[in-house]
Amino acid sequence: MSRYMVNKLMWDVDRSDEALARFKEDPTVFLDDWESLAERPFPPYPDGGHLTDTERAAVESRDYGALYAMGVNPFLLWQFARSVSVPDELGIDGLITSFREAVAPHGYPDFYT
Amino acid sequence: MAEIVGVLGVTHNPLMWASLRETVPPDLAHVAANFDRLRSHVAGLRPDVIVLVASDHFHMFMMSNMPAFLIGKAPRMRAGHPNESRGFGLETTMVPGDPGLGAHLLGGPDLAPVFDFSFSDEPWIDHSFLVPLLLLTPDLDIPVVPVFSNCNAPPIPVAARFAALGSYLAEAIATFPSAQRVLLVGSGHLAHELGGPRQFLGVSPDPGFDEKAVSWMAEGDLEGAVAGTGFGRLTEAGNESYQFLNFITCLAATGGRQATMAEGTPTRFGNLPFFSWDMT
Repeated sequence: MSRYMVNKLMWDVDRSDEALARFKEDPTVFLDDWESLAERPFPPYPDGGHLTDTERAAVESRDYGALYAMGVNPFLLWQFARSVSVPDELGIDGLITSFREAVAPHGYPDFYT
Repeated sequence: MAEIVGVLGVTHNPLMWASLRETVPPDLAHVAANFDRLRSHVAGLRPDVIVLVASDHFHMFMMSNMPAFLIGKAPRMRAGHPNESRGFGLETTMVPGDPGLGAHLLGGPDLAPVFDFSFSDEPWIDHSFLVPLLLLTPDLDIPVVPVFSNCNAPPIPVAARFAALGSYLAEAIATFPSAQRVLLVGSGHLAHELGGPRQFLGVSPDPGFDEKAVSWMAEGDLEGAVAGTGFGRLTEAGNESYQFLNFITCLAATGGRQATMAEGTPTRFGNLPFFSWDMT
């Protein structure tokens, strides 16, 4: 489990308009590029920025409930969700409702990194 | 020597700020009135510098590099980040700083090193600093010394450290050889949640906590505030409630005085904090 790397991925996507546009266009391509940093001579991230298969699948499919249950940082998760899902997939009210339904079953997971 | 002329604790909710930009909606009329009142109060205090205690929200710092407490000492600093412009309409701007006071607060030969702060010569403040500044000092013309506290990435320093920070800041400001009038501002929340099951409920996620929190400030009950804000209790109040700790710093800086204004104003964003202490 690499909670930190999932946080870092969500942070990378949200903090840059350019990264956000690329992620929205094709999350698979974005994640391939992001993870390929591991192949470079000086990978910028610990473990080269690799996510586990489960983590990658949750990010790719925007499964906010699964990410929340893993213990990613809730603030980063919400920022990420709002940026990638609104307004293309959902309006803000729709996201608020579906996000709540997705995370509610998981209570308050430990989100220490 | 420099003198603390006033201490305030306010909300920095960026959605609230965005909602107040044009016509004030009826449910936020009282919030707008509180900010009007505090803006006049600040103008009357004629501060030369603002020491602002707030918590970066993964803009300046990430878990790759996360200081517990950091002081910014720069003559000017950027304020507002690109994703805050995208999310809240908060445009990036510049804010003047006070590197002399900032450096003094870090400690030196004449100050006992109570705190081992991190520091930054290039602080870039986010909405947790900028929203209070825009609402209290809209011209952004008063130099700011930003004090960053980590309230967003556990492990978060315990409440007693936030109290110690307040006592330290009061002592350190009082030993700064200048005639500056200093306004101390804390920025934070009452019970608040983001990214969890209780976000955007339209009401506070924990009104009982808010009531107690406001009474600690009204009564000047520093001991009660520290005892009542363990990590577990704050999480119960909501997973973003840790930023209440910045108000404990304010209370401690006053030496545990009763606040002259202590209010959790009910809004669609939950109860928004407004605290003010007279220091004269």
